Amino acid sequence: MKHMLNHKLLKIRNLKKYYPVTAGLFSRHVGDIKAVDGVTFDISEKEIIGLVGESGCGKSTLGKTIPRLEEPTSGEILYKGTDVAKLDKKGLRELRREIQIIFQDPDASLDPRMTVGDSICEPLIIHNIGDEKKRMERVVELMEQVGLEATQANLYPHEFSGGQKQRIGIARALAMNPKLIIADEPVSALDVSIQAQILNLMMDIQERLGLAYLFIAHDLSVIKHMAHRIAVMYLGKIVELADKRETFDNPLHPYTEALLSAAPSFKSKDKDRILLRGDVPSPLNPPAGCHFHPRCHRVLPICNQQEPELAEISEGHFAACHLYKSL
Amino acid sequence: MDNVSLKVSNLRTHFLTRRGIVKAVDGVDFELRRGECLCLVGESGCGKTVTALSILRLFDSPPGKIVGGQISYDGLDLAKCSLRQLRQIRGKDIAIVFQEAQSALNPVLTIGDQIIEQIKLHLPLDYSMARDRTISLLSEMGIPSAKRVLSYYPHQLSGGMKQRVLIAMSLSCDPQILIADEPTTAVDVTIKAQILDIFHELKASRQLSTIFITHDLAVVAEIGDRAVIMYGGKDVETAPVSEIINNPKHPYTSGLIECLPDVSKTADRLASIPGTTPNPIEMPKGCAFHPRCPKAMKICKQQEPPEIITSKEHKVSCHLYT
Amino acid sequence: MTERLRDIVRRISRPPSNSTRLINYYWQRTRRNKLAIFGLTFIIFLVLLAVVGPFFTLDPTLVDFENKNLPPVGFTIEQSVYNTETDDFITTKVSGTWNHPLGTDSKGRDMLAMLISGARVSMLVGLIATGIAIILGTIIGVLSAYLGGWVDNVLMRLTDIMMTFPFFILLVLIVFIFGPSLVIIVLAIGLTGWTGTARLLRSEALSLRTREFITAAKAMGASDNRVIFRHLIPNVISLIIVIATLAIPGVILAEAALSFIGLGDPTVPSWGIILEAGQNSLRTAWWVAVEPGIMIFLTVLAFNFLGDGLRDAFDPKSNI
Repeated sequence: MKHMLNHKLLKIRNLKKYYPVTAGLFSRHVGDIKAVDGVTFDISEKEIIGLVGESGCGKSTLGKTIPRLEEPTSGEILYKGTDVAKLDKKGLRELRREIQIIFQDPDASLDPRMTVGDSICEPLIIHNIGDEKKRMERVVELMEQVGLEATQANLYPHEFSGGQKQRIGIARALAMNPKLIIADEPVSALDVSIQAQILNLMMDIQERLGLAYLFIAHDLSVIKHMAHRIAVMYLGKIVELADKRETFDNPLHPYTEALLSAAPSFKSKDKDRILLRGDVPSPLNPPAGCHFHPRCHRVLPICNQQEPELAEISEGHFAACHLYKSL
Repeated sequence: MDNVSLKVSNLRTHFLTRRGIVKAVDGVDFELRRGECLCLVGESGCGKTVTALSILRLFDSPPGKIVGGQISYDGLDLAKCSLRQLRQIRGKDIAIVFQEAQSALNPVLTIGDQIIEQIKLHLPLDYSMARDRTISLLSEMGIPSAKRVLSYYPHQLSGGMKQRVLIAMSLSCDPQILIADEPTTAVDVTIKAQILDIFHELKASRQLSTIFITHDLAVVAEIGDRAVIMYGGKDVETAPVSEIINNPKHPYTSGLIECLPDVSKTADRLASIPGTTPNPIEMPKGCAFHPRCPKAMKICKQQEPPEIITSKEHKVSCHLYT
Repeated sequence: MTERLRDIVRRISRPPSNSTRLINYYWQRTRRNKLAIFGLTFIIFLVLLAVVGPFFTLDPTLVDFENKNLPPVGFTIEQSVYNTETDDFITTKVSGTWNHPLGTDSKGRDMLAMLISGARVSMLVGLIATGIAIILGTIIGVLSAYLGGWVDNVLMRLTDIMMTFPFFILLVLIVFIFGPSLVIIVLAIGLTGWTGTARLLRSEALSLRTREFITAAKAMGASDNRVIFRHLIPNVISLIIVIATLAIPGVILAEAALSFIGLGDPTVPSWGIILEAGQNSLRTAWWVAVEPGIMIFLTVLAFNFLGDGLRDAFDPKSNI
């Protein structure tokens, strides 16, 4: 496991993000939406972690909490040993140099009234780097790096196609030479033939610049080509975390199994599909015990009473499931 | 031909905008056979949705207009018949399920009201009969406690449930043809699997002819009988689904298959189609795909490829096979 | 650095009319609306008239009882004139002359000159008062939306309170208390007229605030100032322009209405003041009231047409 040997870049310990739900005239606190509910994992330098789960499982919230775009409710986010939650304004600015985000919808994440050159240049201006000319050179360099014509820097976002806009988003994220990029479903809004281009580009860049990615997706097939390790999230919790090969060849959690079997694959047409019943329950009122038990096809009597802990089942392979408790 | 329930020939739907004529659909041919699931496949802007909307003339007009071609259904040309005749057919003979389950349901009416209204509009049934029919339809869609769902408002249902309600609604008048416009695109993988399952069951139980619009070849493989691959407003390849997947003829089709991220693939790098989908106002001359085609020849830039029948069930529009 | 790189940098560092290109785009869209172009033409004409007109016309304050109540050119009216010799009224026919193309009022002042200087006053009132209202409204609305929390609460309750007073009554009250001078009128309109703008901009900014490019800017480390001035405001500019265009006629009307009920600044001949003076002599000299009335009518219409046109042009969803 060569990635394990590297230095840890980010350590997340028991991170929670609750959104209070209030009702009535006096904003009485009636409950919490537990978007992220006790998540623990590490990202090493140059590592790509894939984070999968269905919509509403909290994966995007988790991504936004790391650079504190959302304030964590409790828990620790240690970036190179310093706790992100305790950073002051200046420290936070420094942090946001090193952690960048690529957003899902390239259309929405670029300011429609700014030329793309200005958009790419913006982080350099914010962090006061170089003079006008140096910045321009950097913009040219970045645009060519992501496969765009640098002469298009003076155009506005609406003059580009979806895939090109996502390239612009990537160029902007690279401007500050970040160490970690959080990619929040960067290809799910793109056409199939364009998705592959962007995924390849992101892999090339990762290799060339030695970045770490937290790659968020709702689809295992997209993650398979990118990730070194895969974390599966369900209702605010990580239910399985393992090396990519382990996840695909030897999934432990029944939810991972179901996701794998639901993932589109036209090569194996008549496979027996594990069909999950029902929908993801509301995170305001999750089922007791294991949150997954009402939809689980391998449910045990204990599952609706006790919540399983994330435990290391085999080396580097974590799962939160009662099936493996005896092991 | 008795087993053909809908035949679209040389359909051309254009949109007249200030910036120019958008030839959204520009010469599409296909036939829908009884009881089959025909997939219209392509990326955004290829004209697949406009083709479907043209069948029931559901686009805004102006700017949209069917400028040529025929849509024959039951001895009638839907491209030219009066709006009154078309209204008789909409919902009753040909029903459509839209992609956005969220916006296709009226938020201020209960589920029951919306479906019952639809039934009473087209069928000579009284309220209680229509209600019974609605309950049995919802149960057929795998909705638990269908009776209770009747009094729910759309916002009380999850995305997957809404999609089922929409399918139930479209089937409420026993249509001959169901058009499904990307019903699996906006939902999660696990819900997608559930919805595909419903379509499987429908096919077995109802002998329904379905036009299924999608950009996802994996979905096509799952439920399609035959597929029409569309690019730049034209059909570029038509064949049975197994042929499309195992023996694609058009370079675009093979490109699409190559670049699909797939859990069963092992390679680290994905194959990709270079370039971007063309702007519908400035379609490339000749074959619309030639700027992105790895096998492009000189003739591709100059001349539109003819339609070539390579085997009985397989036709492709590409110069490679002339 | 290679020559090619240097060339590219040179080409993109000199933005070839970045903003001009955007303005050109909106101009092309606005141009398709004929009414908007009519409105714009009329407004430009009016502004030119207000700026350079006074140099070419007579002194609007020049009183000339010899030539009082002259009708406009092309009109002839019967006028009873008191004849001191016979101690009787005699009726004479009076025709308009080219010396006073739009006639004169009851003191013999030239109507054309008065209307032109009135245009100056009305435009100034319209632009300055609207400017104050729009700037206040924008600041309050955008701050309210962006900062949220108690700031939002305080500012919006303030807006609510302002909105509970009927606008015109409030205006009358202020002018009545502080006296009818033009400065007071402009300030009163400006300081009371921002509420609608604040509401509209708050809701616009609220929806913008959740857009991803705002989050993206924050994620890059941008300060609140930068987010507000580089991202939020530029994206509401088009809305502000439209609101302003549609607000100006309201302000012109408010000033006219104030003048009409006798609360105008009597030292400055605004259209409202002229109109008010003319209402007494509607029978003998209808043009004194009708002419400023037509000017107000056309100006309000022109601004409304232009505002509608701009709104459509700025709306990316409208297919024009």
